[in-house]
Amino acid sequence: RRLRQLRQLSLGQGDFQLQDTAGRARRKADFLGRWVLLYFGFTHCPDVCPEELEKLSRAVRLLERDPALPPLQPLFVTVDPERDDAAALARDLRDFHPRLLGLTGTPEQVRAAAAAFRVYVSAGPRDDDGDYVVDHSVLTFLLDPDGIFRDCYGRSRTAEEVARSVRGHMDSYEPLPP
Amino acid sequence: AAGMAAPTMEERKACWGARDEFWRCLDSHGDDAAKCEKLRRAFESRCPQQWVKHFDKRRDFLKYKKKLETEGYHPPEAAGKS
Repeated sequence: RRLRQLRQLSLGQGDFQLQDTAGRARRKADFLGRWVLLYFGFTHCPDVCPEELEKLSRAVRLLERDPALPPLQPLFVTVDPERDDAAALARDLRDFHPRLLGLTGTPEQVRAAAAAFRVYVSAGPRDDDGDYVVDHSVLTFLLDPDGIFRDCYGRSRTAEEVARSVRGHMDSYEPLPP
Repeated sequence: AAGMAAPTMEERKACWGARDEFWRCLDSHGDDAAKCEKLRRAFESRCPQQWVKHFDKRRDFLKYKKKLETEGYHPPEAAGKS
């Protein structure tokens, strides 16, 4: 019973309803069975997001070197759905890990996803050509194969530290029985 | 949907490069922006306006942070209160 409750809690906690770059609907349940590293950002970001995505990609590549480790899905959720549609994400995320999957949605869906993860999002004022930056919490979240939140990593953690931490969680993980 | 595509990785790196050149110039001229006009213009032409603003603020923040680290924090003096 408790395990059923935990499983329901894990799906209710930090769930999202978004679309990937192929236009498919995606929610957290779709990623069960895999570890997930999820980063919130936007493509018009001056420096932080590409640096964090580079770091995320490096961490995933480090872990991929060990074939004994379970698969890890890197995810990117935009905090700027107005500009980051599926086409924009498909184009701009190519620079990073090949399996990095971009997720977008309506402003309401993106707002709900950010809220579910307690991620702060605030679009700045627009300048004359309509450009703006989005201020947001800089965090990468680790979810286990049951969809339960395990850890989060900020700016100060290196790719090596993130990989080490993820590996530690993977080693100590015990799946919820079905 | 978006009217403006985000900078590509090449454009991003060109912008960062121009920014770094400008900042290096400022560093070697005691932040005298007048001495670095050309590099400032190059920086502004290679980066979106929003990014220029962001990086200007970032430089101010980094300088402030450095000041705190080297000089320590001096709270502003209370003006004539007792």
